[in-house]
Amino acid sequence: MQFELNHVNKIYVSSEENKVFGAKDVNINIHEGDFLALVGPSGSGKTTILNLIAGLIIPTSGHLKHGGKDITSMSLEERTQHRLDYMGFVFQDYQLLPILTAWENVEFPLQLKGFSKKEIHERVDWALAQVGLEKMGNRFPKQLSGGQQQRVSIARAIAGRPQLILADEPTANLDSKTAQEIIELFLRLNREFKLTFVFSTHDQRLIDQVRTVLYIKDGQISEARKNNV
Amino acid sequence: MKGFGYLLKFSYRNLFRVPKRTLIMILSLSFGCGFIVWDLNFANSGSKEIMKSFLTQYAGLYHITHPDYYDAKNKKHFNPFKTMSDEDIADKSLITKSTKRAVAPVFVSGEKKTLGVLLTGLEVLKEKQLSTLYKAVTVGRFLEPQNQREIILGKKFAERIEAKVGDEVAIVGQALDGSVANDLYTVVGLLDFGGGDLEESLAFTQFNSAQELLSMPSERYHQRVSFDVEAEELPVLKNLGVSKWDELIPEIGVSVRFIDDITWFACIIIVLVVSMGLSNTLMITFFEREQEFNCLNIIGAKTKWITISLMIEVFIMGTVAILLGLIFGLLATTYFHYHAINLELFTGGKPIIMGGMTIVPLVKIYAQARYFWQVPLMIYAFLSLTMIYPLVRVIRRSQNAI
Repeated sequence: MQFELNHVNKIYVSSEENKVFGAKDVNINIHEGDFLALVGPSGSGKTTILNLIAGLIIPTSGHLKHGGKDITSMSLEERTQHRLDYMGFVFQDYQLLPILTAWENVEFPLQLKGFSKKEIHERVDWALAQVGLEKMGNRFPKQLSGGQQQRVSIARAIAGRPQLILADEPTANLDSKTAQEIIELFLRLNREFKLTFVFSTHDQRLIDQVRTVLYIKDGQISEARKNNV
Repeated sequence: MKGFGYLLKFSYRNLFRVPKRTLIMILSLSFGCGFIVWDLNFANSGSKEIMKSFLTQYAGLYHITHPDYYDAKNKKHFNPFKTMSDEDIADKSLITKSTKRAVAPVFVSGEKKTLGVLLTGLEVLKEKQLSTLYKAVTVGRFLEPQNQREIILGKKFAERIEAKVGDEVAIVGQALDGSVANDLYTVVGLLDFGGGDLEESLAFTQFNSAQELLSMPSERYHQRVSFDVEAEELPVLKNLGVSKWDELIPEIGVSVRFIDDITWFACIIIVLVVSMGLSNTLMITFFEREQEFNCLNIIGAKTKWITISLMIEVFIMGTVAILLGLIFGLLATTYFHYHAINLELFTGGKPIIMGGMTIVPLVKIYAQARYFWQVPLMIYAFLSLTMIYPLVRVIRRSQNAI
């Protein structure tokens, strides 16, 4: 199922004279099994593009579609439901709920989706196993290292088997070894389960391992590169 | 229901996010709740105790009279020519719970002075069973049922007409047949109402003596005074008038109602103050979690879901606090049931005088079942109000973005 951004512009207006392009004429097609990195310096517009794909912000002009369905015409609540149904998220600072254990954090979106108890158990156990934390499910986030927390966050994102996983600077808060492990985990999940990943990064070490790299500058895709990985 | 179960669990777990803060909020609310329950029970028992003490001393809970005996507009005015008899009362059980009185405004002459007073003829034995008037006689003795033409005067009144126990005083009034009523009475006792006004305006004699003075037929009388102070409802008598004490002494009725209202008002103020503190804490708690609400929203939790989870969180906290508060309130009420409170603590040791009578100041607190649902309802209502602003802020928070 395809996600499409066609001639998408996002303009932030602070005054009549002061208009800033968060995204400028962005065209991206995301297909099942894609592994795509948005690369650029801070403020280049990577996160704006992720927010646009997620339907968290609405483009000033252009179209954002998923499977032919126009996301921009959806209400706020419909877009939230759309994210729940089709997307998973990995955040730079993990964003785990401190009051829930690792297992319960992974369980959370599945509960929102209304899965049965049995299905929830199967999916959470599967997701934690995929990130190598099957024995740490009963730990609270504060009892886990940064890398482990990010793995829980990834497990939460993949547990619902979403069509698209969006990750904003997922390795920014991690040391290089752990960052490498996380990117390898992404690659494995992409390879084994055909999970689609779109993530932003400015970590040069990771970029070479990514199949498709979109370089972002001033809200525009300045260059698209394909790596043979 | 499945989704609601998870919401409940999620909200419950959130209470342990900052346990100390949750504990402080629960304790402040529960102490507030407990104090209010205790305070209302205290005020209720206090006013009941005072009223019981006041009513059993002399006034009674209600008077059964001829329908035209009391002036309909002002029951302080009465018509002594309107009498009744036991034959007029259909429900004879009312007779056993009440005592007859014959009342007449008369002049009492001592050696040097003559002053007006309200002379009441009492059924001595019945009066001693039902009322505590006899306890107010501090000099001399109470009336003897077998004697005739004995009189008890208020202490102040006796001082004013310079009469002492053992003296004879002349009574002059108007008999029911229109003639002048007069006779000599012997002062046998002086009433001490703690210096209240009634010491200057009341005098008592045997019922038969009053009947004789007023040329009243033996079966007739003016009032049947009921001391059934626990009665919830007054009897309805078609052919007779039934007047409750607060109609006969409206100034005291107003005071008692005022005290009850002011107690509720004070309770509402307490809840309001606690609620404002709570609202502030909730706001801080919610703002601290704003980024988390954003994240929840990004991963698929709708604003409605987040709002409901917060409401449940507050209600769980409120329910725990209310339950604890009710236990505190009940324990405090029970303690002060067995350790009566001396109201003189609140008057600086001065006696409490009500309606011209000194009131026994010890109050045993009784738990009233209605406060154990009224107070929680009030707290839930205020909790709901407390949440409005913080929740509106959560709902209207800035647009979500990663």
